[in-house]
Amino acid sequence: MRIFYVTLKYTAVTLWSMFIIAPFLWALSTSFKDFNSVTGGATYIPWVDFEPTLEGWRVLLRSPAQGGVNIVEPYLNSIFVTCMASFVSIVLGTLAAYALSRFTFKAGFIKNDDITFFFISQRIMPPVVLAIPFFIMLGKLGLLDTLLGLVMVYVVLLMPIAVWIMVDFFNKVPIEIDETALIDGCNPYQAFFKVVLPNSIPGMVVAGLFCMIFGWTDFFFAFILTFTEVQLLPVAIVSLNSSITPWWSLSAAALVSVAPLVVVAFIVERYLSKGNLSGALK
Amino acid sequence: MAQIKLQNIAHSYNPDATDSKYALKPFDMTWVDGGRYAILGPSGCGKSTMLNIMSGIVKPSEGRLLFDGDDVTDKSTSERNIAQVFQFPVIYGTMTVHDNLAFPLVCRGYDKSFIESKVNEVAEALSLEGLLSQSAKKLTADQKQLISLGRGLVRDNVAAVLMDEPLTVIDPDLKFRLRRKLKEINQKYKSTLIYVTHDQNEAMTFAENIIVMDDGEIVQIGSPAELFERPKTTFVGYFIGAPAMNLFDCDAVGSNAIKFGNVEISTKTDLSAIKNKRLKLGIRSEYLQLVKSAGKNTIHANIESVDDWGNHKLITANFEGSNIKIKVKREVEVPTEKIYLKFPAQNCCVYENEMLIS
Ligand SMILES: Nc1ncnc2c1ncn2[C@@H]1O[C@H](COP(=O)(O)OP(=O)(O)OP(=O)(O)O)[C@@H](O)[C@H]1O
Ligand SMILES: [Mg+2]
Repeated sequence: MRIFYVTLKYTAVTLWSMFIIAPFLWALSTSFKDFNSVTGGATYIPWVDFEPTLEGWRVLLRSPAQGGVNIVEPYLNSIFVTCMASFVSIVLGTLAAYALSRFTFKAGFIKNDDITFFFISQRIMPPVVLAIPFFIMLGKLGLLDTLLGLVMVYVVLLMPIAVWIMVDFFNKVPIEIDETALIDGCNPYQAFFKVVLPNSIPGMVVAGLFCMIFGWTDFFFAFILTFTEVQLLPVAIVSLNSSITPWWSLSAAALVSVAPLVVVAFIVERYLSKGNLSGALK
Repeated sequence: MAQIKLQNIAHSYNPDATDSKYALKPFDMTWVDGGRYAILGPSGCGKSTMLNIMSGIVKPSEGRLLFDGDDVTDKSTSERNIAQVFQFPVIYGTMTVHDNLAFPLVCRGYDKSFIESKVNEVAEALSLEGLLSQSAKKLTADQKQLISLGRGLVRDNVAAVLMDEPLTVIDPDLKFRLRRKLKEINQKYKSTLIYVTHDQNEAMTFAENIIVMDDGEIVQIGSPAELFERPKTTFVGYFIGAPAMNLFDCDAVGSNAIKFGNVEISTKTDLSAIKNKRLKLGIRSEYLQLVKSAGKNTIHANIESVDDWGNHKLITANFEGSNIKIKVKREVEVPTEKIYLKFPAQNCCVYENEMLIS
């Protein structure tokens, strides 16, 4: 019976892994193909089915003058914008969430829960609705086509996620821990920074992960709010496309663009599986 | 190390609402310096609210709080120098056991050697020496609670140590040892201990004085013996003791006698001034005596059941529709159908409108 169960478990895990990994393998093999190997029917294994070439990867590093698309700069831009926006969102979001979780706010019929919902409601609107106001506002501020402008827009988009996750997290951290810190002689700020914050790192890690995923994968705002000076990775990848779809370089670009998320996910997964997410109590 | 005085303190969690309700009704109370108190009462009666008012976590909606005569009502928790331990363990998960214990002293800026000696002293008292360098997060629930207790005890100059059902998560054997330890600590440092509990045995064995609360009010303050012998209200009689005090409806007849069913029972209570003739008679199941024959103060009741409680037996009897519990030693022979029960006059408590007539 046990053996049966174990077999079943491993079969399921194997099937699921194949399902997840297959597209990556496909992209990997495609990135080493040339025009003929892509159009001449399905081929899988390099050297056996087709002759591998590095052309797809080289295009990514070549300057446009040489007929390539340099994605190094957009890549660095994306890393900068995503990290900055996530960082700011986490800092502001955590502070806001702590206040929403611990103090009672009241303005007429508006209470804490309504304020929390107000944050997340910003994400319910379709992005198109926000595009024009953002465009006009950044235009007025002279921040169109700049990294700073993008960071600001992404903070607006990511902070609701951070607030939402952190409010939920703080609501699960018992208030007694704050109270104990006060009794032990902290003032409210020390209680937050010395006691509550160190215990909240797991929540911040999760919130940070979500912010990074959403920030890193956004194409829409990156496309609308930049023209020539600044380009983010998703936009650069799309600009690879031409009348003859370059599957090989698109595949290579797709792989390098998911790489950071895979790395982050691995680190976070390690961290979470150590049981660090469990709260301060019990 | 202070006398704590609550002057006309009251608290409502929703003072502005139309259905505003007191969680704690106005009262006065003085906690003597160095006293060992237990607060006992059913769930929701305001025990935690009272502690939280003293520690400053809750600001009372009415009244003043004085520590040794100083008004601390508006002072913050950290300025009050008070220790409090909660029902569930609170540990600082990112710190070691040592740092957890040291935290209250570090926050108040004591010097290093003093902190070390105090931490070691408390760790030893609570048998935590071996764990000092471990991360506090990995410990079991009762070890964590020991740390919470330890943090409450490292400062020996606190005005009081408040404990809100601190031993709930701890297993019975350790509970017993810890209660003794707390008693010792109280005697050694002369710090006031205030201990909230649901468990009357815990209260009885721990405290010099027990405060019984019900529905936001203090109903009686007294030593365990007083609460047992002369419960001030029927609630206290009912709440304290296992089984609860026997309570019967009765009528006053004469200057110190009452009529229970058709039997006249004389008591030591002066009933001559009582207008209301409908009273209640209370008597502990331990004080009812099994006698061989009819006589003064004696009823003839039907036995319904006899339960073996180990070291004693609990007889349930019925007299004219009232249930009576009698606790006797296990070696006492219990008749099978009917018994004569004698009500010793000095153990009878008489209640008018649920209040003891004294
Ligand atoms: N933060 C709060 N907001 C509103 N009402 C509260 C709050 N805390 C307690 N109450 C109410 O105040 C009353 C007294 O609560 P309290 O926690 O002091 O009772 P308790 O005696 O400690 O009960 P328990 O034995 O269950 O811990 C209860 O009716 C409770 O519902
Ligand atoms: Mg309570």
